[in-house]
Amino acid sequence: MKSIEAMGMNVSGLDNVVISSSKVLVNGRALEHESQGNAMLTEIYRSHVADWPKFFKMDTLSKVGFLATELLLKERDEARMGSEEFASDRAIVLFGTTASLCADRNYQATIQSASDYYPSPALFVYTLPNIVTGEIAIRCHYRGETQFLVVENFDSHQMAFHVQCALQDSVTKSVLVGWVDSTGNDDFECFMTLVDRNEAACADTLAEQMEGIMNNLK
Amino acid sequence: MILKLKQEIIEVLNLEDIKPEDIDNDAPLFGEGLGLDSIDALELIVLMEKNYGIKLQDPAKGKEIFKSINVMADYIQKNRTR
Amino acid sequence: MGRLIRCIADNVVSPLGVTSAANYEAVKAGRSGLARYEGMGNITTPFVLSRIDRDVVDGLCSNLGIEIKAYTFFEKMVLASAAQAVRDAGIDARSERVLFIFSTTKGNVSLLGDAQGFPSDRVLLGVAAHQVTAWMGNPNPPIVICNACISGVVAQIEAMRALRSGKYDYAVVTGADEQSPFIISGFLSFKAMSDAPCRPFDKDRKGLNLGECAATVVLAVTDAVSEGWELKTGAIRNDANHISGPSRTGEGSYLALREVLKECSMDDLAFVNVHGTATAYNDEMESIAIYRAGLIDVPVTGLKGCYGHTMGAAGVVESILSMYAVQDGTVLATRGYSECGVSYPVNVSAECRKTTGSSFIKLLSGFGGCNAALLYEKH
Repeated sequence: MKSIEAMGMNVSGLDNVVISSSKVLVNGRALEHESQGNAMLTEIYRSHVADWPKFFKMDTLSKVGFLATELLLKERDEARMGSEEFASDRAIVLFGTTASLCADRNYQATIQSASDYYPSPALFVYTLPNIVTGEIAIRCHYRGETQFLVVENFDSHQMAFHVQCALQDSVTKSVLVGWVDSTGNDDFECFMTLVDRNEAACADTLAEQMEGIMNNLK
Repeated sequence: MILKLKQEIIEVLNLEDIKPEDIDNDAPLFGEGLGLDSIDALELIVLMEKNYGIKLQDPAKGKEIFKSINVMADYIQKNRTR
Repeated sequence: MGRLIRCIADNVVSPLGVTSAANYEAVKAGRSGLARYEGMGNITTPFVLSRIDRDVVDGLCSNLGIEIKAYTFFEKMVLASAAQAVRDAGIDARSERVLFIFSTTKGNVSLLGDAQGFPSDRVLLGVAAHQVTAWMGNPNPPIVICNACISGVVAQIEAMRALRSGKYDYAVVTGADEQSPFIISGFLSFKAMSDAPCRPFDKDRKGLNLGECAATVVLAVTDAVSEGWELKTGAIRNDANHISGPSRTGEGSYLALREVLKECSMDDLAFVNVHGTATAYNDEMESIAIYRAGLIDVPVTGLKGCYGHTMGAAGVVESILSMYAVQDGTVLATRGYSECGVSYPVNVSAECRKTTGSSFIKLLSGFGGCNAALLYEKH
């Protein structure tokens, strides 16, 4: 009997992308790749994106969030905006427990020793988790609201509540909602989904759907 | 020395898809050319200190020094302490 | 729009004092907590920092019944400010109808350099925040806004929304950041810091100063207008331009301002309290945004010359000081400013000025291209 995952079914009803250190699922369908961890991210970038060299400057958290968004928007067949076009009606609201801890440790290594003291600005800039939202906003031309909320544990009801809060801004029509965590360069987990006003209307339903997506990560 | 410098720049700035032979020695590093930005300029300042012992306090001076690979290599040769 | 959001208590813990009132008096008198340091730890470049006396925080904690050995300095700053504000508000922090929202950029990051005997998971912001909610006896899972320098404004906006949802009666919003070699070295690597007291909007400005602060507002939701401060609206917008440099056209700042101006009566607007970090690019960008939003003649005031850049605390402490200023009929001097050094001549002054206005806008920008504004009105 095939698992739901193998059948490529989208259980939650919301378009979603799931990325862990060893797999990438787009609406439940596994993408092919040979490597794992950070090398897998590079592979997926090359085979599915390939036109954003800034990708290689990003920290792991941003790479994961960026890739998940690219795959999601591609799946939804959303056309890329023209160079002078921007949208203010889509919010980006990301959650996680580790925030920029992986980038923090990488930066700390450049200042830890008095004899090998070379603070790196390129590493320092990523020691804020909301930079992920910035990278997505730049790529997608989103001039709406961007936020990163750090939580103690994954709590789908807490997340659903704050998604509804974001929609209190009357200009916001949809929310790119994501869970992004990274404890090391080869250790990360993420899901990304897009929610409009109707889909966020009932917090419990939204919470359940996000639970379902999160289960695909495990 | 030019080849070593190019390799160092590629590594430090994460220019993953670029090889040393792709970088023209006289092409502008900022603006067009490699399209480097302000954070890259700051990283090049760190590179110069770490690898060549050159301390640069004023980032504005950096824009002149990093005009091209040749200009940068020339400056390093004249000022290196390592 | 919905129900009214009122500020019912506030607290500031900074080098200038441990109450909001003491802080306001010190700032009005032109004092600052800024001091020059020739270095710190492995840092050998001079910088200017406004640093809190650790013994003062320990003293506050002891008086509040907080065990000083059980918490990191960052946690103690937050506890000291939040606990006092909760006490002043007279609310029961143990109620599930009370939500704690925290605003910080780096929390306990100094533990990465020196664990100080604390378990390693204390570097996680959620775990650090839980130390505070657990001490308060609050059952709700903590939420930490980690949105770079705009976090303090975002946290108040998030509180406003949480209260309007009907799920909570009170929100305790605390913004705080400890300045450790981690943050200081990072900004030094950006060549963004001045080795002298900072000069917002000035033609000779050469960078920012850093500062430590913990500040709290307690917000309540009501149906009736009554005397006091109302948080009317707020907006967050991204430049979508660069992850660390501000947009040359002040795009996100302008969009955030435009949004809050929809609910602003211009006749009542006393001033705009800006970000004003005194870097070449930030102040220039803010002047453009202010001009584009039609606010070029509105008095502008910046507090980084008194506090330095307090990161996660900035949005909260600068809002509180603005409330006290409006109450005092005053537009606070922008310490460090002397001569205009931005393209659009914002209405900023080195002296305190009088105002009869009853509202203010708080504006901030941060790394990641984010910008936020909020509007407070006094009844």
